[in-house]
Amino acid sequence: MASGSTENRFLRPPSDEEYAPVYRAPSSYNPLHTFQLPSGQERHYQQQYGDMYFLRLAKLKPAVEEIAVEAWEGFSIAGEHARRVERVLDVRQGELCWVAGTIYMDLPLKPNILDDLTKENFTLAPPPRPTYLDPDHPELTQIMLEDESGRLRLAGNMLRSIELATGAIVAVLGTENANGDFEVVDVKVPDLPRQPRRWERDEKQPSQKGGKIAFVSGLGITGSSSDTLSLELLTDYLLGFTGSQSSANDESVPSDASIITRLVIAGNSLGASMTTDSNESSSASKKKSGPKKYGYDASAYNASPITQFDNFLAEILPSIPITLMAGASDPANFSLPQQGIHRAMFPRSRAYCSGPAAAGETPEPGWFDSVTNPWEGDVEGWRLWGSSGQNVDDVLRYLDFANSSGAVDGNVDAEARVRVMEAMLRWRCGVPTAPDTIWSYPFQTHDPFVMEACPHIFFAGNQPQFKTAVIEGDAPLKLNGTDTEMTGTGDNASGPQVRLLCIPSFKETGELVLVDTETLEVEVIKFGTYAGPQEKQ
Amino acid sequence: MAVADYKKYLAENVLNERRTVTFRSLSRALRVHSTLAKQMLYDFHHNENSKKPQSVNATYIVTGVQNAPAPATNGHTNGDEKKDDVFPSSPYVSSSMPNQDSVPDTAPMASVLLVREEDLADAKSTFESISSIYIYSLQQTVLQDLNVLTDVSREMVNNHAQEDPLQYGEQWGIIQNKNVKRRTGARPVPAPIPTTSKPTIPSKRPSETTPSQTKPEPKKEENAASEQASTRESTPSTTSKPTEKTAPVKREKSNLFSSFAKAKPKQKKEEPITPAESAKPSGAEDVFGGDDDDDADEEPEELFPDSGKPASSAAATRESRKEREERLKKMMEDDDEDEDEEMPDATEPLEESKPIDQPPPKKLELKEEITIQGGRRRGRRQVMKKQVRKDDEGYLVTVEEPSWESFSEDEPAPPPKKKPALSAPKGKPAGKAGQGNIMSFFSKK
Repeated sequence: MASGSTENRFLRPPSDEEYAPVYRAPSSYNPLHTFQLPSGQERHYQQQYGDMYFLRLAKLKPAVEEIAVEAWEGFSIAGEHARRVERVLDVRQGELCWVAGTIYMDLPLKPNILDDLTKENFTLAPPPRPTYLDPDHPELTQIMLEDESGRLRLAGNMLRSIELATGAIVAVLGTENANGDFEVVDVKVPDLPRQPRRWERDEKQPSQKGGKIAFVSGLGITGSSSDTLSLELLTDYLLGFTGSQSSANDESVPSDASIITRLVIAGNSLGASMTTDSNESSSASKKKSGPKKYGYDASAYNASPITQFDNFLAEILPSIPITLMAGASDPANFSLPQQGIHRAMFPRSRAYCSGPAAAGETPEPGWFDSVTNPWEGDVEGWRLWGSSGQNVDDVLRYLDFANSSGAVDGNVDAEARVRVMEAMLRWRCGVPTAPDTIWSYPFQTHDPFVMEACPHIFFAGNQPQFKTAVIEGDAPLKLNGTDTEMTGTGDNASGPQVRLLCIPSFKETGELVLVDTETLEVEVIKFGTYAGPQEKQ
Repeated sequence: MAVADYKKYLAENVLNERRTVTFRSLSRALRVHSTLAKQMLYDFHHNENSKKPQSVNATYIVTGVQNAPAPATNGHTNGDEKKDDVFPSSPYVSSSMPNQDSVPDTAPMASVLLVREEDLADAKSTFESISSIYIYSLQQTVLQDLNVLTDVSREMVNNHAQEDPLQYGEQWGIIQNKNVKRRTGARPVPAPIPTTSKPTIPSKRPSETTPSQTKPEPKKEENAASEQASTRESTPSTTSKPTEKTAPVKREKSNLFSSFAKAKPKQKKEEPITPAESAKPSGAEDVFGGDDDDDADEEPEELFPDSGKPASSAAATRESRKEREERLKKMMEDDDEDEDEEMPDATEPLEESKPIDQPPPKKLELKEEITIQGGRRRGRRQVMKKQVRKDDEGYLVTVEEPSWESFSEDEPAPPPKKKPALSAPKGKPAGKAGQGNIMSFFSKK
């Protein structure tokens, strides 16, 4: 029982003590608008998705080839030198060569629009599946390498030891065997892109000592009272009611809330029931009430989740700036990149938004910034790249982590998610499986999911469990088990370091994640209630 | 300081009215620092229970680092310390521990737990170190369901919604932020969206729940407020009057709309509702959970009501349209709060139910309200609908009734239909032939 002084501070009769106002450390914030879609008339959905793969390959092929050249130049097996092949169709049987292309995985349970069409029962959104793999028929999984010329089926034991997902750009070394399959000897990925220096896009702030960035996701507000008690505690904490003046010793845990400079909400702020309920009730009410009503129908739409969320935001906004990302269950467009939740949804909080953008210029970021998912930006000089978790969830469906321990338990799953996040960074592609199994906007001119710069903090929201890790660019790709040669991509001595964050769903865990702005160290604060013995019975 | 009054306030609310008081609701009601409010709760709890044990029950917030469920090498475990569901010895936690220990990247984990008074000792024993404990709420009986506390805070937020947090935050002990940006100027006005402005006197609308909270608080007095607070608290007579004033605000709202569309009958129709509305707050002292949701829904509309308006709707309707427009313009300019963007739809459900309850007062002209917003046209219009119903003698009678329906530009203006045109030819404003959409054609006659 440490610190009796703070304990006494609240548990004593009131005194005439004056309480000096506590001030929150300022936040430096400079979002990027990588994922902003053109608005209104310029947003088209007629294009073909093929362009995205072409763009991605065009962008990442030089990067991966550079690494491959370095690794495989002069590589020889039994006197045969590995030859570089430009297109996958140029691969000749029996010849040791390497080629770069896009991974495509054909999985037995993957949703397939052609199947749905032939069955004539396609639905709007395919039901989410835990995995696309069929554990009973592992042979149905096919991994292929494709480019603009054609496809090459990959084979070999190597594939089992690495993680691959559709959309990743890789270079493979091997030979084509008698079946026409490409026996893979080694795989190279683009690896981490250049990492910007801290404060690269901003003027360096006068150094303040250790601030914190707070991350939370999956608030899951459904409008019922049951889910908001933790939210109240979170509000209290962020506003500094949970003993904010105990900052005397820096080591105190939890950290003083006044050094939290910004709150990032990574999606799923509203509970899922909001959308499903409205569907059910609207279909029911349609039958009852005769004439169909257009537009707002109070009977079919439950406004209380968003109202409550708005109240929550409006309460903490006077004290802390917020970056709000849309998520799968939020009222935003469904396909990635999800655009920010419109400020009209927040009648109380919207006063803190930036004004509507004037034509042709990006407005100054608002105090309350409703941003896209995924989102990229600079906070306290660090580059952040994060999503609300759909990318991780989907890539995980391509991979089989269960076989190591038999069943997927919590820790294996969390470990797998961190590895997926690392893999995505090394693929330089934040959402590799879009547009294959994640709905995506059909980009025509560029693929924003390709990471141009390596973030310092890479986060995914709405994960089942908190998990964090640090990966380094210099280290040889540990995903490739047999990779023993130095890739030599390090530009400087230290190499890029990325803090990976799996942000748990707040509704499930009650956890808030704090990241130190100087050391990028992570701290977790859990909010909840203590269930007494009688309640447990 | 209102320090002297807290005992009275707590006695009134906790003991007499059996309500739950949290430190935040106390802090806001008495306008004191949250730390002071926590101390007040402690003091009250201590005194009452020493007078008569078990008379007041408390919940505590315990903040600190919880023990690792199993003896672990690293003190801070990135634990699933699911104390709230599972005992430390539960297989789930212990099975997850070994794995966590092998992972180098664990993060220190702190907990903020809400604990009942009876469990406090238990809960404390699960903590390795405690950085703070304070009383979260006081109530008369043990809270079976801690979730009721959310209702308290929601109610508190609603009651104090009109108080600008930027202004009062310091008083409440909120962490201040010097850089907060809030839009104050008028937005670029692409659309005539009616917005209410923050009135010059922010807390004109008093809280409805407790008489002691009903002090009209002029803005400039924020410092002087605390001294005067105690004197003001003894003026509960203001309760009923100002609550009546809140009701007309709703009507003014619709005036804003009607200024676009000159829809007068609408205001008449709303009248039956408002007495009920104004009656509700005064009777709301005992009811919490029930109308909370309603309050939450209404709140945005009532935020910062414009109290400078005449209270009677009759007077309001008599005002010329020009005046109203001017006022609207002014409001959008000094759009201090910029709080409410009211969609025309927002009041709609109210209207739609009306024609059923009430026969049309006269042959109404068919109205159309259009809001053009960012190039999108939307609004609603009144149409005459035929209703067939049985009268007292069992005959089927066809009655024409006006009703509202909304439309947007996505729907083409409905083509003039023969049937309504025959039955209600005079009802059509020129150029807007449309009434009823295609669906009403198929509806049962």
